[in-house]
Amino acid sequence: MDLPLLPTTVVGSWPVPEWLERIETDHLRRRVSGTQLAEVHDWAVTAAIKDQELAGLDIVSDGELRRDNDVDYLLARIPGIELAGPAKDFAYDYHGTRVRRSPSPPATDPGLGLDADLAFTRARTDRPIKFSFTGPFSLSRRVVDDVHADPADLVRAIAHVLAGVAATLRDAGADLLQIDEPFLAGHPEQVGLAVDAVNIVTRDVDVPWALHVCYGNRYARPLWEGHYDFLFPAVLDAHVDQLVLEFARKGDEDLPVIERSGWDRAIGLGVVDVKSPVVETPELVSTRIERALDLVPPERLMINPDCGLRHLPTAVAVAKLRAMVDGAAKVRARLIG
Amino acid sequence: MLVDFRPHARLRSRTPVTVGDSVGPVVEALGASTVDLSRVRVVCDWVQYRQNFREPVEIRPVRDGDPGDDAFELAVDVRRGPEVDLAEATRTALAAHADGTADDGRVLLEDWGPTRHSCLWDFNALYWRELALWEKATGRAYEQALPGGESDARNRDGVRAILAELFAVWDGLADRRALPPELYVVELGVGNGHQARVFLDEFRALDARHGRGYYRRLQYLMCDYSAHVLDMARETVAEHTEHVSSFVLDATRPRSALGFLQFRVFLVYVSNVYDNLPTDEVAHLGGRTYLVESRAHLPAADAAELARSVRATPEQLPGLVHKLLRLGPALLAEAAPGHLDDTDAAVDFWRRTWAAVRLAERYVGLAGLDLYELAPAISGEALRPLLESGADVRMHVSNGAVASFVETLALLHPYGKLVCHDLVVTAVSAYREGFRGPGKYDGSVVNWVNGPLLAHVGRRRGFDIAYAPFAHRSGTNIVTMTAQVRD
Repeated sequence: MDLPLLPTTVVGSWPVPEWLERIETDHLRRRVSGTQLAEVHDWAVTAAIKDQELAGLDIVSDGELRRDNDVDYLLARIPGIELAGPAKDFAYDYHGTRVRRSPSPPATDPGLGLDADLAFTRARTDRPIKFSFTGPFSLSRRVVDDVHADPADLVRAIAHVLAGVAATLRDAGADLLQIDEPFLAGHPEQVGLAVDAVNIVTRDVDVPWALHVCYGNRYARPLWEGHYDFLFPAVLDAHVDQLVLEFARKGDEDLPVIERSGWDRAIGLGVVDVKSPVVETPELVSTRIERALDLVPPERLMINPDCGLRHLPTAVAVAKLRAMVDGAAKVRARLIG
Repeated sequence: MLVDFRPHARLRSRTPVTVGDSVGPVVEALGASTVDLSRVRVVCDWVQYRQNFREPVEIRPVRDGDPGDDAFELAVDVRRGPEVDLAEATRTALAAHADGTADDGRVLLEDWGPTRHSCLWDFNALYWRELALWEKATGRAYEQALPGGESDARNRDGVRAILAELFAVWDGLADRRALPPELYVVELGVGNGHQARVFLDEFRALDARHGRGYYRRLQYLMCDYSAHVLDMARETVAEHTEHVSSFVLDATRPRSALGFLQFRVFLVYVSNVYDNLPTDEVAHLGGRTYLVESRAHLPAADAAELARSVRATPEQLPGLVHKLLRLGPALLAEAAPGHLDDTDAAVDFWRRTWAAVRLAERYVGLAGLDLYELAPAISGEALRPLLESGADVRMHVSNGAVASFVETLALLHPYGKLVCHDLVVTAVSAYREGFRGPGKYDGSVVNWVNGPLLAHVGRRRGFDIAYAPFAHRSGTNIVTMTAQVRD
C-alpha cells in the first residue's frame, strides 16, 4: 500500500440509517425480497465508499452495510452452526445460535461470501481497502455449544473456518485485513486463547493484519470497562501487524502500558469517540495524535475512530471523519515540514 | 357507526353494567338525530379516577384535513352513566356540536395543542413546586393520596432485593479488579426522601454484614424537580449526609445535571415518576394515525362560581390562572390583592380551579410518524411496531417518560440497572380494555406509562426490559420495570 504518514481509515462499520434497518427487518419478515435487499445494499455500500473518499480517508471500507450485525452475518454461514431460538424482531438483534456439529470449512465457497463483498468494494474504489470481520473468540461467545467438551475447541474450529475466509480475501486483493474481537475485553482471562485463534486465522495468509480490541460498541454503549493491560503479554505473540484500540472515549492513559509492554508494531489510534454525537475539532484530533507521538513514532501510527461508526447519524460520522482527516493532516504537515 | 365498549370486565363484575344501560340511550339519541351515523364512533370507558378531566358524555371531532370533515367520536364515561340522563346528555352534546356552541360559556384556558403542552402540566408542576402549601390546605401528605397510603418505594423487602443483586454485581466486578472507586446510585423523583432513607439504612446494614466496604464508596444522588422537596429529603437522610448529593432537575432531562455520570451509574431508582410526566396520546383509527389534541377549559357553571369567589368576572379567570401557574399562590396573592386576600385564599383558588379543569379533545391526522417528535432525537417511528397490527387503538405515548428513560439509560454502567415502580400498561391490548388516564391524583396528573413503547425504545438501545407485578405488596397496580444491558 502506498500510504502517507499517519494514514487515516475507519475501523469498519458505517452508519446504518433507520430506513435501512427497517428494510432489513422487513426482509426478515418476508415483506422485502432478498433481491431487492441486495440492491439496496449495493447502493448503500457504494454511497458509503464515496462518502469515505469525500471525507478524505486514505483507506476505506465497505462499511459492513450488508451485515445485520457483527456476529450473525458470519455465524449463519459457518457449517456446523445453526440458527436457533425465536426469529429476530429486528435485523440488528442477535440470533440465538447453536453448534450442531463442530464447525469446519465449507466444501464450496470457503470465503462465506465475504470475498464477494470485498470484490464488490474493490470494483468501486481505487483506494486501499480495510476489510474486517469478527474474530473466532467473539463469535464463539454468541453460540450455545453442547458439542465440544472444551469451549476452546469451538474457538479453534471457528478459527480454521475463518482462515479459509482469509485466504479467499487475500486472493480477492485484500490490502489490509482486520480481526475484530469486541467481546474479548469482557473475558480478559481468555486472551491467550483468543490470540491462539487469531494466529490460526492469520498465519498462512500473508497480508497486512490488524487486530481490533475495544470495550464494546453494541448500541453505542460500552459492554465492559477496564484497561488494555489485560492484553499483555499474550498479544505480543499475535501474528498481526497492528493493534487497533480505542483511546478517544477512554483517554490515552493506556498508551504507556502498551509501549511498556513491548509492543513494537503499529497502533491504530482511536482519536474519534464513536459513542458521542459531539463532533471533535481537528485541533482536538491533532492534540490526541501529538500526545501519542510522545510514545509512538509516527511511522507506527494509523489514525482511526475508536470503533465502528454504525450508531452515528451519517452526517455526524462524516463530520467526525473530516475532523480526523484534517487533524491528522495538521500533524503530518508539522512532521514533514 | 362503530361502538367500542372498552371496559369488558365490567360486564361480568359482581355489580355488572350492561351495554343496554350504558350505550342504549346514547345510540337511541344518535339515531334520533340527523348526523351521518356512518361517520360516528361511540367509545365507552370506565373512568376510574373520581377526579378527572371529563364530562360523562363528550364529542371529539376527527380532523383528517378535508374542509368537509364532520366525523366525530362520542365518548361516554360508563362509571358516571347512572348519574346522568345519558340520552339527554347526548342530545345536548350533539346539538352543541352541530350549532358550534360547545364552547359557549366555557372559560378557555388555552388553545388546541398536543396534550403534553397543555397547561394541565403547569398545574402538575405547580403542585410539586408548592407541595407544602397544598398539603397544609388539605391536611394530608401526598403519599396518603396514593393507593395503599404510601409509595411502594418505601417497601423494605423491595429495597433489600435490589441491594442483594447490586452487591452481587459489585462482588463480581471487585473480584476482577474492575469495580470503580465510587459507586453511584441515582434516585429520580426523590420526594420527601423516605425512599432514600430506607435505601441508605438498608444499604449500610447490609454492607456491615457483607464486609466489603461498599457503603464507604457509595455516592447516592437524590434528584427532584423541587428544591424545596430536596431540602426536606436532605433532612430525612441527614444521617447519611457524607454519601448523599442532591440535584434539582427536570426528570425528563436527567442528563442536564447528570451528564458527567455517563456509563457510570450502577442503579437508577425511579418510583412513581414516569406516570406523572407530560404525555400525548396517539390513536390509530380506521387505518389512519391521529394525534389527540386537547384544550383545557373551565365549565361555565364552575367558572361563574369560581369567578365570584375571587371577585372577578369569568373573563378574568384565564389571566388569574396563568398568573397562578407562573407565580405560585403566595406571589399571586401579592400580585392580585383585589381578588385574593392572602396565600390561603390563593391556594383555595388553585384547588378549586384544579377541581374544575376539563380537557376537550379532538383527533388530528398525523402526516407521518417520522414527522412526530416523540422525544428529543426520537421520532414517532418508534411507535410503528405498536401500531402495525392495524387494529384501532388509542394510547399514551409517554413523551416525558420516554425522554427521561432514554437519557437515564445513557447513564448506566455496563453492569448497571434501572428499576422503576410505576403504573404501567404492559401490553398494547390493554389500551383496548381500560382507561389509562389522565386522572387527577391530588393536585397532580396521572397517566399510566406505555410499557410496550418503553420496552421497544429500550430494546433499540441494547437493553432488556422486563415487567413484573410489584412483588412486595398485593393488590397494587404498581408494576416493577427493570432495564439491563442485553448481550
